[in-house]
Amino acid sequence: MIKLDNISKIYKTKTIETTALNEIDLHVPKGEFLSIMGPSGCGKSTLLNIMGLLDLPSTGNILVDGQSLTKFSGKQLAKFRNEKLGFIFQSFHLIPDLSVIDNVELPLLYRSNISGKERRELAAAALESVGLANRKSHFPNQLSGGQKQRVAIARAIVGKPDIILADEPTGNLDSVMGDEVMDILIRLNKESKTTIVMVTHDERMAKKTDRLVRLYDGTQVA
Amino acid sequence: MISNYIKLAWRVLARRKFFTFISLFGISFTLGILMIIFSFLQGELGNNSPNSNKDDLILIETLRLQRVHLDTIPVIDTVMVNGVEVFDTTMETRSRGSSRWNSSMNNGIGEEFLSDLPSSINQTLFTNAEYDVYVNGVKVSLETLYADANYWEVFDHDILEGRVFDKVEMEQADQVMVISTKTAKEYFGTTENVVDREIELDGKNFKVIGLYEDKGKIIPFISPDLVIPYSNMTLANQDSYYHGYFNMVLQKEPGADPDVLKKEIETAATLVPMDHPTKPDGYNELIFMSKTYNEMYAQGIYGDEDASKSLSVMKWVLLGLLSFFIVLPTLNLINLNVSRIMERSSEIGVRKAFGASQGNIVLQFVIENIIQTTLGGLIGLGIAIAYIKIFNNSGFLGSSTMVFNTKFFIYSFLITIVFGAVSGFLPAYRMSKLNIVNALKENKL
Repeated sequence: MIKLDNISKIYKTKTIETTALNEIDLHVPKGEFLSIMGPSGCGKSTLLNIMGLLDLPSTGNILVDGQSLTKFSGKQLAKFRNEKLGFIFQSFHLIPDLSVIDNVELPLLYRSNISGKERRELAAAALESVGLANRKSHFPNQLSGGQKQRVAIARAIVGKPDIILADEPTGNLDSVMGDEVMDILIRLNKESKTTIVMVTHDERMAKKTDRLVRLYDGTQVA
Repeated sequence: MISNYIKLAWRVLARRKFFTFISLFGISFTLGILMIIFSFLQGELGNNSPNSNKDDLILIETLRLQRVHLDTIPVIDTVMVNGVEVFDTTMETRSRGSSRWNSSMNNGIGEEFLSDLPSSINQTLFTNAEYDVYVNGVKVSLETLYADANYWEVFDHDILEGRVFDKVEMEQADQVMVISTKTAKEYFGTTENVVDREIELDGKNFKVIGLYEDKGKIIPFISPDLVIPYSNMTLANQDSYYHGYFNMVLQKEPGADPDVLKKEIETAATLVPMDHPTKPDGYNELIFMSKTYNEMYAQGIYGDEDASKSLSVMKWVLLGLLSFFIVLPTLNLINLNVSRIMERSSEIGVRKAFGASQGNIVLQFVIENIIQTTLGGLIGLGIAIAYIKIFNNSGFLGSSTMVFNTKFFIYSFLITIVFGAVSGFLPAYRMSKLNIVNALKENKL
């Protein structure tokens, strides 16, 4: 499904070069739930951003379903992200001016073949699947942290992406809410066969996934 | 998608109240001020009754007599005369003497030399005088216009009651007058049934034969308090064959070049005999000082002897003011938008992560700005209409009135929206190029 081929990421300033990722080779098969762990600053999020095409590697190749994406234009990357990828962020990143259902609808806005009514229905179904059907009209500031993350999950799955990339999805939640969110992700992975790559600091959460990859100073160590 | 953007724009405006207030205040204030200035100018310079023919009028307020003589000036030069080199020390030059006599014209000159010009379709002679009358012991000043019967064709006053005087009444020097609603109120205390009543002026009783609506213009001959046939004046007392009491307005064909009529007026001046016994000594050239209505107005403000130069200066000043009032708030709006859009960088990051293209981001912010400027424009319209009403009712502007111009509003509104769109586009375009990861790091959501 996702193949990272000799990926490196180097940040350059006038005076210093920092290697965030060093020659990473990683294959994530379809339907796998993979977690990435490592100390702060080891390059976990950078790796996830590169897998999610939010950032480009300095060297190396990214292949999804055998298709190389490093040569894609900005517009092609945007379309690819919209159709194939879903994102869950540690700090939710819900848009405060939009209601819950409008937030969930967001990825569908950028698809030309979906009517407003259809968008609404899909967003409602996504909210239903995370148990927030009754919060459609609420605004993000009216929700708890756990509810916000469930809305973020609904937003990530509404476009039925093949891959979900989650950057510390339970990092801002207490253990009960964290478990709730994790249960949803596991259910999603099992039922829809959605490939999930999750960055986490929480060993307990990582143990619930199919495979664990560890990074240290930008290098894959396990 | 568009409806979603509109909904979002509305919510953003509602949520960020202070920013919305500042932006809307800037836009509406600018547009409101522009509308008020233009409404004032429209009232003064617009083609409104009784001045609907304004653009076709050429005014002659002054007849100038001047001395033109040939001077010799010393020069040291070598010239060829019949193939022979001659050392010459003098040269003749046509130099105008400093002596000039500017005054209004004798009606006879106007009738004889300016009443039949090829490009003039109508003309009127008039002069004004102010009389004080007493109504129940209270002094009322009446700006009186003595005019010929053509006056009513050149200036289209709205006649509310009765009629205007005709050529026969003019020739017979009938003691009749047409009065304004202002005069009717001041003199009779009413505008009802004033026709056939009399007003005593300068020891004579004049019968009111008509009533016209007072439009409150600054220019006395356009908005007099009352109009009387000028044959009631003692015309023999005028200064000379040349100078006298009168101004003249000539009307050209609509759309015709005013310079053609001005040229004909210039030529007509050369036909006036300069040997009349009443001519003051020393003057050998006569000029009718002609100008368009706009030139006259500009000259009244700027004061240059050259009316066309005054108009040109006034146009540049107005253009400068207009640019100032539009460009400055636009820059301010761009500045506000930069900070507003930067504040929403993490939203931009999220949208781009979920597949928004650069174009989608730019469109979203441009729509937000268009909605904002449209709102500001509508508020500006409300402000302008309210202030125009207040100014017109309060008499704050003296005899001037403001006239709201829908066409100008539409133009300024469109310009404002274009500026709004541009002021949203530039920062949005910049932010749309933002790296997603960096945008998300802002984390202001």
